[in-house]
Amino acid sequence: MKRHTSIIGTLALVGFVSVFSACSDFLEQEPDQIITEEQVFEDEVMIKSVLANFYGRVTWGQHINDSYTYTILDEAGKSDGGPDNIQSYNDDLWRVHPYGLIRDINQFLQGLRETTVIGEEDKLSYEGEARFLRAWAYFNMVRGLGGMPIVGDEVFEYNENTDVATLQYPRATEAELYDYIIEECEEIAGYLPTDPSVNAARATKWAAHMLQARAAVYAGSLANYNNKLPNPIRTSGGEVGIPADRAQGYYEQALAAAETVINSGVYRLNMTKPDDLGRNFYEALSVKENNSEVIWARDYKYPGQTVGFTRVNIPGSHAEDIDRAYAGPILNLVEDFEYVNDRDGTIRTRDASGNYVFYDRPEDAFANKDARLWGSIIYPGAVFKGTPVELQAGQKRLNNGNWTTRTGQPGDTDEDGRLLTSLNGPTTSNQQFINKTGFFFRKFMDENGGASTRGRNSDMWFPRFRYAEALMIACEAAFELGQTTAALNYINQIRERAGIQELTSITFDDIVQEYRVEFAFEDHRYWDLKRWRLAHRVWNGVQNSPTAQQFALFPYKVVAPGNPNDGKWVFDKQPFSNSPHPRNFQMRNYYNFIDQSWINNNPKLVRNPYQ
Amino acid sequence: MKRFILAILGLGLLGAGGCGLDNYAEPESKLTGQITYNGDPLGVRGTGEAVQLQLYQDGYELRAPIPVYVKQDGSFEALLFDGEYKLVTRDNNGPWVNDRDTTLVTVKGRTEVTLEVTPYFTLSDVTLALEGETVDASFAINQIVEDANIEYAMLLVNKTAFVDDITYNGRVDLGEATAGTVTEMSLDLAAANIQPGQPVFARVGVRPVGADQAIYSQVVRLR
Repeated sequence: MKRHTSIIGTLALVGFVSVFSACSDFLEQEPDQIITEEQVFEDEVMIKSVLANFYGRVTWGQHINDSYTYTILDEAGKSDGGPDNIQSYNDDLWRVHPYGLIRDINQFLQGLRETTVIGEEDKLSYEGEARFLRAWAYFNMVRGLGGMPIVGDEVFEYNENTDVATLQYPRATEAELYDYIIEECEEIAGYLPTDPSVNAARATKWAAHMLQARAAVYAGSLANYNNKLPNPIRTSGGEVGIPADRAQGYYEQALAAAETVINSGVYRLNMTKPDDLGRNFYEALSVKENNSEVIWARDYKYPGQTVGFTRVNIPGSHAEDIDRAYAGPILNLVEDFEYVNDRDGTIRTRDASGNYVFYDRPEDAFANKDARLWGSIIYPGAVFKGTPVELQAGQKRLNNGNWTTRTGQPGDTDEDGRLLTSLNGPTTSNQQFINKTGFFFRKFMDENGGASTRGRNSDMWFPRFRYAEALMIACEAAFELGQTTAALNYINQIRERAGIQELTSITFDDIVQEYRVEFAFEDHRYWDLKRWRLAHRVWNGVQNSPTAQQFALFPYKVVAPGNPNDGKWVFDKQPFSNSPHPRNFQMRNYYNFIDQSWINNNPKLVRNPYQ
Repeated sequence: MKRFILAILGLGLLGAGGCGLDNYAEPESKLTGQITYNGDPLGVRGTGEAVQLQLYQDGYELRAPIPVYVKQDGSFEALLFDGEYKLVTRDNNGPWVNDRDTTLVTVKGRTEVTLEVTPYFTLSDVTLALEGETVDASFAINQIVEDANIEYAMLLVNKTAFVDDITYNGRVDLGEATAGTVTEMSLDLAAANIQPGQPVFARVGVRPVGADQAIYSQVVRLR
């Protein structure tokens, strides 16, 4: 019992000490991690670093720092372990509600306008950047949620006397918010620098015009195609749904803004390798040096700011660390790339009577394709970092006149020492680190040594705006305005760079197709199909639908001694085993749901349709 | 001894921690209901939380709807506290004319409610039969809303009792279905990857243009 007394005694002592020690003021120190408003705005370096913080907070949607985002649409399939059983899209997919950031930016603007340490011109330039990022934040919000409250430059303060109702702004209409973004861009374009920034990391006048053009073409297509639905999506207050008569005005604004960028002469379609258009397209997107095309990008830089896209997606044969083959592009996308002289991009695996088409080398199946295929996707036998990427699902053997399939574990050989299944895959198993689609990414894959190691990662950037988009926006807007000649001129510049035949007439489907292949993996596809109101048709949830189901392409080596086709290659098209369900985009997915907690805080927010 | 005292202390804490005045009794009143048109139950998609109703209750500071999930036979149920609720279909959701008028429901103990809606179409005289390894369907589509159009009719089979336009083993679509006439469709079970001897459930559906959901007949077990 004596021991227990001592325990109790100790406890009592500790209790006393903790109760009475609070009187000492040794804890009351000036914080050295918090910098006051005055400290920030009397130093230009500090102002810049606040701005840098904002740049780091504006990456949303599909991007290379989150490879999973590529696998939920119709661009790539997840090969990482077991199947992804995604059946429908969440009501908050890529939902952006950036009012914290907007408040910080507004606070920054307030301080910036009062500071005296920088000259008026620099001040305006910083203000332009901050307001550009604010417009970009609103844009990312409006394309998911529709019209949301516009708070202007207001910095809200709350104390116990504040009437909460004065802080509760109702939602703006969808058109009002697009107008706000367009007007902001128009105004700040004059404040921003005209020279490109290093690695396109900071906003310029041209980035502002690009955002203006994109916002206007989104608004125009919403006004146009939403009202062509049998049951247009709208709320009675216009928070969702833009009147059809606004379409023309928006298309005109989009065309004007895009042409400002096109005619500036500052940027052009990248043409560093005219002899190798595939390589040229890769460099247009994935090489920063001497890049003449990218207007604004999320830049990464070692050390400190790096990205793991290359590391997790690199082919196993080229990997420098244990990570590899997280996801692979799917056949749906590969077949959407045209042939040089044939607009139907289907890969020919069977002839008219259903027999295999035999290829001497696997890469021959992709000969004469749009050069952008090489620049975006590594197909079987394509060269990456100087060596071909081997993809072999198994062997095809001739057995009593029928072709039978023989596969093995990745890396296995048959009794005669011939390879069965490549170390890279593809397979249909649940294994991690083995490709399952038959393709690898090339766009945004860093070719530099060490870029796929965990210790270093990659410096690859993620372009948000580039010159080709200015051409496509101009093409789309001109087409919708009935200016066919101009539309053809713009789209053919893009097609010429890709090495495919020029168009002599143009349809809406041509434009959809061109966006799809030009901007694959660049966070365009989802938003484009949404604004054209095509998403529920393309991703219709029907099993084995050519657009909603993901498909893989498996290459096999022919083993048939004595047969003229021995040693050649054949291909099987099959549903992608790792995502068994077709993509199902429902009407309610056209707009994110308004979160209940936002409504609780602000009862003036009306719900979105289908909510 | 020390371990014993610590154990007693721990148990005591557990015992003392559980008392609180913030606990409610769980809701015990069951609201069951059926979506009908002219008293006939309507079949809908029952998977994926596709068709929902909403219950609102007035008199509280915050107004968040309670979602009520509709099963494929058009029935629904919810466990609630006694009180006055407003029942409403979810905005634009379901194969019926969007109607945001609420139905007042007084829940007291076990309560039943029918929710009348106006579907764009109904299905009648549905016969589903198994002919060897082929499912034959014959049904009439009745126009209810004058200017409604049919996007497609479909015949669906599955190996389980859950059958709809997303959950199926086999599906045949008919684009040029017309209201007012008898529609006939058939489906080959081998193509649907259903082997002889395996269970077969089937139903037919019609998708109105502009609606986010199709309307279905009731699920029938054929084998």
